[in-house]
Amino acid sequence: MVNSNVDALGIIFPNSHDALVPELVGERLMASIPFASRYRIIDFMLSNMVNSGIGNVSIIVRKNYHSLMDHLGSGREWDLTRKNGGLNIVPPFAEKTVKVYSGRVEALASILDFLRYQKEKYVVMSDTDIAVNFDFSAMLKAHVASGADVTVAYTEEKLPESFLTDRQESKEFYYTLKLDGGRVKEMEINSKETGVTNFSMGIYIMEREFLIRQVSYAYTHGYVNFERDVLMAQLDALNVQAFCHKGYIAHITSLKSYFDENMKLLDEENLNGLFTPNPIYTKIRDDNPTRYINGAKVNNIMAADGCVIEGEVENSVLFRGVKIAKGAKVKNCVLMQDTVVEAGADIEYLVSDKNVTITAGKEVKGTDTFPVYVAKYQTV
Amino acid sequence: MAKEMIAMLLAGGQGSRLYALTQKLAKPAVPFGGKYRIIDFPLSNCVNSGIDTVGILTQYQPMVLNEYIGNGQPWDLDRLHGGVHVLPPYQKASGSDWYKGTANAIYQNISFIERYSPQYVIILSGDQICKQDYSDFLRFHKEKGAEFSVAVMEVPWDEASRFGLMVTDDNDKITEFQEKPKNPKSNLASMGIYIFNWDILKKYLIEDEADPNSENDFGNNIIPNLLRDGRNMYAYHFNGYWKDVGTISSLWEANMEVLDPEHSGINLFDEHWKIYSRNSGMTGHRIKPGAVVENSMITDGCQISGTVKHSILFAGVRVEEGAVVEDAVVMGGTVIKAGAVVQHCIVAENVVVGQNAVVGAMPSEGEKGVATVGSNVYIGDGAKIGPNAMVSDNVKGGEEQW
Repeated sequence: MVNSNVDALGIIFPNSHDALVPELVGERLMASIPFASRYRIIDFMLSNMVNSGIGNVSIIVRKNYHSLMDHLGSGREWDLTRKNGGLNIVPPFAEKTVKVYSGRVEALASILDFLRYQKEKYVVMSDTDIAVNFDFSAMLKAHVASGADVTVAYTEEKLPESFLTDRQESKEFYYTLKLDGGRVKEMEINSKETGVTNFSMGIYIMEREFLIRQVSYAYTHGYVNFERDVLMAQLDALNVQAFCHKGYIAHITSLKSYFDENMKLLDEENLNGLFTPNPIYTKIRDDNPTRYINGAKVNNIMAADGCVIEGEVENSVLFRGVKIAKGAKVKNCVLMQDTVVEAGADIEYLVSDKNVTITAGKEVKGTDTFPVYVAKYQTV
Repeated sequence: MAKEMIAMLLAGGQGSRLYALTQKLAKPAVPFGGKYRIIDFPLSNCVNSGIDTVGILTQYQPMVLNEYIGNGQPWDLDRLHGGVHVLPPYQKASGSDWYKGTANAIYQNISFIERYSPQYVIILSGDQICKQDYSDFLRFHKEKGAEFSVAVMEVPWDEASRFGLMVTDDNDKITEFQEKPKNPKSNLASMGIYIFNWDILKKYLIEDEADPNSENDFGNNIIPNLLRDGRNMYAYHFNGYWKDVGTISSLWEANMEVLDPEHSGINLFDEHWKIYSRNSGMTGHRIKPGAVVENSMITDGCQISGTVKHSILFAGVRVEEGAVVEDAVVMGGTVIKAGAVVQHCIVAENVVVGQNAVVGAMPSEGEKGVATVGSNVYIGDGAKIGPNAMVSDNVKGGEEQW
């Protein structure tokens, strides 16, 4: 091949698992949750696709997607401003027959015509509730080599704590796999297994024609859920193979896990695991470098550009444009874009959303098991 | 569609006084202020002033600069009509020429300017650190009914003889021009930023080109000729931050002034006058346990385990445990290994300073040199680079250079 592109198009579902983090998706969706000091969660999947040579990516949005549109723009930062393919954002009312999708089958049904006219042989589908450095081209190779109808990516790990303790049934589905060699024999919804399991990453590869056939059939029969109604119902008839991802992965399954996953990146090994081998792209904000003024005391932090730090900061992740005034103390915090901590404020175990202000002298403390969350534009 | 004013940015200078820093790149491409290059300042000024068409005249070592400018997208200068254009010297049907002087560089690109039929052309210099609103300069030019205006700065009288000086009347009209005179009659120094009415500029460029004795230079030829003919020439007073970063010490100084915007006047934290640059795309920087960071600017991709005081670190710089960086400018991708001491110096891109090596020294009586290490240099473990050294080749472990 002349270029390194793979013969696949990408489909991303940015709203899936929104319900797990109700605090963070008040005015946004899962995909546009700020993560790792200067990224949004979707940057990882988009960059992975682009780095794997996928140059045609559709994002099927469902609701609260203004922040995502703002973040993605024309897709230039991900090299997806293309004449052929590129970034394609599909809002819910693209077809008048479909209102807000209740499941992935409907979402896919709304772009069937689009899918029919694409030239790529394969389709890669993914959610955006994980941050990972993932090689889609390796997975596609495995898919082709195994002759599978569908390949699903998974990790071997323990299920997130919140899945085991919370009553998730009413919120979102997650899937675990029972394997026979490489083949998926069983898929379980919302398992409560406590040991290491085969935890689905929500990443699927199949032929485009196959997907069109399956979705048309499922949609006309009133099916809603792709995994439950299409895959699980046909595990005997279809050759569903599993592809194990061994690298670093961050799951966003609750506010607590959001906090923990940010904090984990203070460990160099984890940071390298997430940001190598391939670069992760994001929207550029043209902030100046971060300035540490006399009197600043910092220990074990990650900070993006545009911050001004005069106070004390320890074990924290600071997003772009955070201001920490003289005498302020920040410990074990995740402070999103443009958070202001005024003089003498003392905060611990706190997650602040965008543009939060902690006014002078205030003391706000959560605990390591229960971080305090302050919503967008709020002043404490 | 005609443009009211377009900019021509002179970026061909070698910057030979920056020695090791400009061996492989033109002066406007020299990194500055943690995440910028010098040329980001005039380019951002253009965009912030509403100028959307910029011709960049390159000549010396243009590769890095060309690649950096690209299609101009980081400065919002990727436009359908106008935008940024890199203009190197080129071969013509009847021979080809390098740019012989600043005026000749513009002369050779008359056809580029004509495509936009501008009323005014602003001539900018690619080697100054300055935040300036060119639209206010144009307003002045129009108000005065000028045919030529030059931006001037008041400089201390005892330094005036180092500059090109404009002698003006009470109405800012220029009556005389003195190039580095022994006995200055004015302390208004030319910043090398001019606005011309295009018809006037074109006339004088053509005339100048026909003069075989001309150096084809704005300061030495065009401006004296305008004066000779009694043209309407005015001096526009600029009193913001301005620095010609033509020498190692002035470049170092300007970087240090970025650390003290309250007093120096160079504020990069201005929401209303952003300086744009091409992004490194690295993750947020890390200040590790045990690190000490005081009064410094640090950007994406840096990893600090040692001590950093009063310094500017560019993208991806790593300062290992026990290393000390003080009063230093450390450019992108450089690694300062454990125990190394880097003080009062400029270290260019992708340098490795070996374990326990010493680069530069804090200024003392009679010794105020700024040590300079060129890009991609490897300084071996325990090597010593003196405060006046200018290093552009690898230095073996334990070796000393002064």
